[in-house]
Amino acid sequence: MNYLDANTWIGAWPFTFCDSHTARSLQTHLKQHGIQRALVSPLGAVLAPAPGPANRELLRTTRGLVGLIPVPVINPALANWREELALVAADTRVRAVRILPNYHGYRLRARAVNELVAALTARGLRLIVQMRLIDHRHEYHAMKIKPVPAADLAALLDRHPRLAVLASGWLQPELKKWLPLYPQLLADLTFAEWYDTLNHLREKVAARQLAFASHTPLLITAAARAKLDTSTRSKNERVALASGNLHRWLP
Amino acid sequence: MRIIDVHTHPILREDQRGPAGAAQLIRRARAHGIEHLVALGDVLAFSRMQTVEQVQLINDETAAVMRAHPHFVTGFCYLNPLLGASAVEAEVARGVARGFRGLKLEIANNARDACMAPVMRAAERHGLVVLQHAWSMTNIHQRRFHTDPEDVATLAQRFPRVPIIMAHLTGCGVRGILAVKGCLNVVIDTSGAAPEAGLVEFAVEQLGARRVLYGSDAPVRDFGVALARITGSRLDARTQRMLLHDNASALLRLP
Repeated sequence: MNYLDANTWIGAWPFTFCDSHTARSLQTHLKQHGIQRALVSPLGAVLAPAPGPANRELLRTTRGLVGLIPVPVINPALANWREELALVAADTRVRAVRILPNYHGYRLRARAVNELVAALTARGLRLIVQMRLIDHRHEYHAMKIKPVPAADLAALLDRHPRLAVLASGWLQPELKKWLPLYPQLLADLTFAEWYDTLNHLREKVAARQLAFASHTPLLITAAARAKLDTSTRSKNERVALASGNLHRWLP
Repeated sequence: MRIIDVHTHPILREDQRGPAGAAQLIRRARAHGIEHLVALGDVLAFSRMQTVEQVQLINDETAAVMRAHPHFVTGFCYLNPLLGASAVEAEVARGVARGFRGLKLEIANNARDACMAPVMRAAERHGLVVLQHAWSMTNIHQRRFHTDPEDVATLAQRFPRVPIIMAHLTGCGVRGILAVKGCLNVVIDTSGAAPEAGLVEFAVEQLGARRVLYGSDAPVRDFGVALARITGSRLDARTQRMLLHDNASALLRLP
């Protein structure tokens, strides 16, 4: 089965003992786990004062590495976000950008987000909203960060009903609550879990709205594979979740 | 690979999971190669502080799962220590008569509270393992009734002859591992939250391979994901075998 991973990262995360990947070591690691392609973003852009340097490194170090699709981080709370978007969009490999509202201090209801959406639409780029990066119960003690409110994403989708968004990092109850209400929304399986994850989700959620994601290196890559590999869903459905749905979502 | 799962809740009202659902969960466990599991009861049914009758019902359900799946399920007796010494002792006696091999504590009280003394004395008297729910309270702020790993360490130091499973490695985190490092009667199960990378390896490095056990927390967690915390780690095959089977087998005196 071909895997296209919706959620991987290069760089270091200072608050856990997870691996710190370069683009090349990430590619090797994913290949060892049978994951041929992945959307990859820079962890360095999460905590830095501006995402530019980390985005530049992402674009430079992924060049020539087959299977890694760079997904730069944009922070619309910064005055230069249009310049940053123009810079990263000049690289033809960029097909989506990722935003982290809870780490970058703005709400999805902010005017700048509407402006970003318009700019992305004009450029034919997709939007990934990182609803949750870390389980907020386990954040470093000095970090008081909560998940992005799901209602904020719902409001964004109400304002932009044709917007192609991937919600990254929702828990299983959030997926079951919100995906049926927004059939245009794609969500990844990063934090989705129940004893029989896919059968449980599929009671409420359409298969075409779910995408495989490992959240490497923050979570265990093999654990993400296990959700699909040990599922009793049909081969066709697992293929769609493993790669087809995300492949279709990308421009 | 032989596998024992030390942390499951086959009955779970939140999931509309009664006896039929328990059987379904057990079929799923078998499909993953699990050969034995510990059933902990629907410990948050009704509320976090159940009455005597509610505690009895929870344990009756666990006993029924054991009877329905002989040789596959070991039951642990759920207790609400706030009900007092005589209620605790009576329920432990009922559990021992049914073949339960451990006691399960959730969030009725904090493990450092004085009401734990009758629980621990009963565990010692009957040779039972205590499985204590624990989670880092750094960001949760419920320590009045919710046990932090530091509280497990306090309990373990007060009752050093009682073997304790501290639940939820991921919830306890690095600080939790270090908190119980010096308490040789404490082992940790690998359940809890999403499978954060690097934690199982850190636990084995700090505590030694004999003090870490596989647990899933199913149905709240996916068996495949829970197993991959160990099989997808950097631990060697011998160590993985200890975590997945040998340590639990020795602790619970299973074949």
